[in-house]
Amino acid sequence: MKLGLEGQVALVTGGSRGIGAAIALEFARQGCDVALTCRGRLADAQAVAARVEALGRRALAVQTDVADLAAAEGTVGRVVNELGRLDILVCNAGITWDGVIWKMTEEQWDAVIDTNLKGYFTYNRAAAQVFKEQRRGKIVNVSSINGMRGKFAQSNYAAAKGGNIALTKTLARELGKFDVNVNAVAPGLVMTELAANMPQEFLNKAMNETVLGRIATAEEVAYVVVFLCSEFARHITGEVIKIDGGQYI
Amino acid sequence: MFEWFGRVSFCSHTKVTDFACHLRAGRLVASRCVACGHLAYPPRADCPACLSEDFTYHEISGRGTVHTYTRIDAAPAGFETLSPYVIGVVDLAETGRLLAWFGPSIPESEIAVGMPVQVVPRLFEEIEEIRVYYSLERPEAPGAGAV
Amino acid sequence: MARVGVVGIGHGVFGRRSDASVQELAFEAFRLALADAALEPAAIEATVIAAVPEYHKQRSIAGVVQEYLNLNPKPAWLTEVACASGSAAIRTAWMAIASGLHEVVAVIGCQKMTELDTPEILALMGRVGDVQWESTFGTTFPGYYALFARRHMHEFGTTAEQLALVAVKNHHYGALNEKALFRKEITLEKALASDPVASPMRVYDCCANADGAACLVFAAERRARAISRHPVWLDGVGCATASMSVLRRPDLTGLPSAVEASRQAHAMAGSTPRQVKVAEVHDCFTIAEIMAYEDLGFCAKGEGGAFIADRQAYIGGATPVNVDGGLKAKGHPIGATGVSMACEIVNQLRGEGSKRQVPDADLGLTHNVGGIGQYCFVNVYRRD
Repeated sequence: MKLGLEGQVALVTGGSRGIGAAIALEFARQGCDVALTCRGRLADAQAVAARVEALGRRALAVQTDVADLAAAEGTVGRVVNELGRLDILVCNAGITWDGVIWKMTEEQWDAVIDTNLKGYFTYNRAAAQVFKEQRRGKIVNVSSINGMRGKFAQSNYAAAKGGNIALTKTLARELGKFDVNVNAVAPGLVMTELAANMPQEFLNKAMNETVLGRIATAEEVAYVVVFLCSEFARHITGEVIKIDGGQYI
Repeated sequence: MFEWFGRVSFCSHTKVTDFACHLRAGRLVASRCVACGHLAYPPRADCPACLSEDFTYHEISGRGTVHTYTRIDAAPAGFETLSPYVIGVVDLAETGRLLAWFGPSIPESEIAVGMPVQVVPRLFEEIEEIRVYYSLERPEAPGAGAV
Repeated sequence: MARVGVVGIGHGVFGRRSDASVQELAFEAFRLALADAALEPAAIEATVIAAVPEYHKQRSIAGVVQEYLNLNPKPAWLTEVACASGSAAIRTAWMAIASGLHEVVAVIGCQKMTELDTPEILALMGRVGDVQWESTFGTTFPGYYALFARRHMHEFGTTAEQLALVAVKNHHYGALNEKALFRKEITLEKALASDPVASPMRVYDCCANADGAACLVFAAERRARAISRHPVWLDGVGCATASMSVLRRPDLTGLPSAVEASRQAHAMAGSTPRQVKVAEVHDCFTIAEIMAYEDLGFCAKGEGGAFIADRQAYIGGATPVNVDGGLKAKGHPIGATGVSMACEIVNQLRGEGSKRQVPDADLGLTHNVGGIGQYCFVNVYRRD
């Protein structure tokens, strides 16, 4: 489906694998140049960048800590400098570090909150400066259905993912007057390399939770993200779209 | 959408309501009478020269010179949090006059009668509603001429 | 057309009159005027009432005043042109008598300003000018005159000190006027040190709100001579308007409405500015009085600052102005001010100004401005 995104520039955090990589590649297929960040897996990020370039687009892979505000501003500045503009921000970088509350360490809590929530604050803030000045921009924050419901042993993840949604709604209000759309997607279980390594009974349980009896592919999340960044979704803002096959209704 | 215009709106019913839409899009517009060509700023629907009610909007440059100014310390209702602010009356290059606040590129100590200024369309950014206005800036300041 | 004369004047005390309603204030002035004219109420054929309605809780002010004065069913109506309402009422009374419609007409200017609370007053303050293009930026009444003052200073070198000297003069005379709000002199230093309101103007450059009422009784010449031993003739009435918006006035260093109204009044009265022995001008702000000296021809354009600095507006100077304290010391109960001005001129022309009497006052002038000069009424009075 052609979405009219040719020539635009998208920045995807956590784009080295899984959902982030799928999003980066889908933007490239739609005609965008793509910048992506990674924390440790620079080789994987560069591989994604290479695939973007193979699709005929420019790419930029940046290794950085998303929780660092100055670094985020630097990365956004670098994207504008090297790729010429910034039209789209997708915050996707995220980790899990599960544990029941009575055993969860400060380190577990801080790490997940830093990457999954603060790492969205930093990039939303840095991109908002650009989008506000140019009176144009699209932001999609990747959340999770586990930010909308309670998930056992994921208090840190749920807090961050729920926070992503609240952040999204607030920014939709703040940036609307500058013609910037801010939305969230909330996937359920997605078949990524991470998920593939989980025990089969876990995957079956998740599949049975869905009404469609299947697990999402990363591309199926990417399709919704690119749609939300297109002019077809011009009037959608402050919205959260679940991509969960009915796993949580 | 004239109620978007200014810090506090006292006038939402007017035939020149689209002025505010133009301002939101970054355009300062005068009115031009279709019948006789009379140009007016502030814009008006009814031509003072030929009485016609047929008019169009005509974008003007926003360049002008300061005719007079004052710093308001005792602010009226709705403006208390903004005070003190400096108001300038500007003779516009094309026609007419405009009243607006001086903006960040012109501190009060640098204001002088006769100085050239650029009228810059603005949004009130840190409030929830959409409200538009314009400010007086140095012609060479960054952002002057940009929306 | 019949010649129109003033046969009775009554001036109430201006101030914070939380002791009285607007109709009770009107009655104070009315009673005094009738006593001064030695007339019974039945002689009044019509009443023209001046008040600015938006400061009152009571709607339809003219109705309650006429009722309280016990003048029903005689005709009554309101004239309102902001601060010039009083003079508009006077002009209306003049028209009623000159046309022959009535022979004896009362004019009552009455105003409460302290019925509203501060937030309501602050809200009204911001709507003095053009609300569509100007009030949205927080303009205020002093703000507009400050714009005039700044331009006047730029073009003519008028100084803040010269502005303050107007206030010093008016407080000097106000101290001698038992009807005034402020009864104390002030020093130049105090005026220049007062808090800024709208640059270059400070608190002491601005008149104060007040409550009050004043009344005049007018009569056609034949009746006037029968009623009064010293009628004062309203021989010239002038009126002109200018744009509300400062964006449509080419020259902001004077009030074009005042220049034109003055021209008309003198033309009708067969007088000239030089012949004016005593004047009441609209000093809502000090710069307004300086502009008035120029607009009314008491001095050349741009020389208003020198005029006050040289004491030409004091008794003994070229044209004594506001020797009752002006708006600055009397206070400015909007609807009553124009009538108050006329009362003072009549007093002066009758030779009853006592400690504030201008010698040989045979021709007097009132200059009453509405708002920021969108209306101006100039009247010329003469004694026999």
